[in-house]
Amino acid sequence: MEKYFDVAYIVTSIPLLLPYIEITFWITVIAAFWGTILGLLFAVAKLSPYQVLQKIAAAYTTALRCTPSIVLLFMSYYGIPLVLSIFNISLDAVDKSVFVLIAFSLQFSNNMCEAFRTAYEAVDPGQMEAAYTIGLTQLQAYWHIVFPQALVVALPNIENALISLIKEGALAYTIGLIDLTGKANLIIAGNYNSHALEVYLSLAFIYWMISLGVQKVFYRIAHIFSKGKRLLLS
Amino acid sequence: MLDYEFLLDDFFIALSGVPITLLVTLISLGVSIPVGFIFAIFRLDKSRFWNKIIGVYVSFVRGTPMIVQIFIVYSSIPVLLKSFFVLLQWDTDIYKLNPIWYAFIVFSLNSIAILSEIFRSALIAVHREQLEAAYSVGLSTFQAYREIIIPQLLVVAMPNLCNATTNLIKATSLGYAMSLQEITLRAKVAANANYNYVEAYIAIFLVYLLLCSLVEYGFKHYEKKLRFYKFGTA
Repeated sequence: MEKYFDVAYIVTSIPLLLPYIEITFWITVIAAFWGTILGLLFAVAKLSPYQVLQKIAAAYTTALRCTPSIVLLFMSYYGIPLVLSIFNISLDAVDKSVFVLIAFSLQFSNNMCEAFRTAYEAVDPGQMEAAYTIGLTQLQAYWHIVFPQALVVALPNIENALISLIKEGALAYTIGLIDLTGKANLIIAGNYNSHALEVYLSLAFIYWMISLGVQKVFYRIAHIFSKGKRLLLS
Repeated sequence: MLDYEFLLDDFFIALSGVPITLLVTLISLGVSIPVGFIFAIFRLDKSRFWNKIIGVYVSFVRGTPMIVQIFIVYSSIPVLLKSFFVLLQWDTDIYKLNPIWYAFIVFSLNSIAILSEIFRSALIAVHREQLEAAYSVGLSTFQAYREIIIPQLLVVAMPNLCNATTNLIKATSLGYAMSLQEITLRAKVAANANYNYVEAYIAIFLVYLLLCSLVEYGFKHYEKKLRFYKFGTA
């Protein structure tokens, strides 16, 4: 009988999986882009003086915070074509990745909204007033004074949001998108379902390295942007 | 377009999965709160060796997608258990084991890592002097932790524990990969007959929204109660 566990499979499946990092990468980048824009809009709505906007933004974040990614993904995959079919728009020709991108952009926007809001609230209002007293305009004050300080506060949350976006992206295989996880399942199917454990281990290894890489990058960024803080402390 | 009758039926089918979801969540938390706490103390107090080992474990769990962790456990535990049972000469068919046992294992292993990080940051936030002060009035280590450290630690950790719990509840939706009969799987299977997937996912969404909102409300309420000692000094 063949061995159940064969370390060689872990090594040989890594080069087979690696090309599919590209798909995972683009899904992450595009979802992060739209998610950031949406998140910023909702953060502005939450911080705005208008009650209606606050309520809408609060409902949006509560709903998304309570939805598992897989449910959001399928709601996007089945729900959007249904809604558009009322207007006689057929989405049969649309690539599956679009639904994945919509779902994960929404998910990411929720995390980013909270990151932006807490970061903005963490900056002392006195900083803004101080900036006015030395003659900066509102825009200048935001750009030179508030934004750099808020960014330092927001970085750990942005990092967490990005890593969880990459990880949740693994669920895209459920609607048939062939990314890293999708490819891993294809390899296993090609092996007649044997050596699944080895392939999954190499898949986990790749994700682990990506997450560690992201952490490294954010560590460098945090190092650069917290310059002012260190000067004040020393 | 939407089949409202089915939506209502499926809502109750989804609700019938809530006990399984809650059971998995509670067992995982019950295992991981004590173990995570011990891990956190180990990482702060004990040798570099344990710090490294636990650090790698935490980094792996946080750096890989939940679904991949499920795949790994689901394809390795049966084999491990089987050889174990053969060794003990137990006559149990491992493939007839209720999937809920795998769910307990996967979600406990995951939560241990998440909670140990939460407890670690909370332990750092509660200053070491508190422990020394407790010693100086003659408390034992156990008493000091129970009377002094843990009540303060809980206040710091509560918001993160709330997040971890809602994330865990959401993560159990991935139990479908182990054919765990929880909210998502039950509602989805009921939709298979007439392809009412949109209704099914709306029903699932509503159930999770209800469940997570209740959990968040409960935590907020409990946190207020825990803060009582803070008023004493104010």
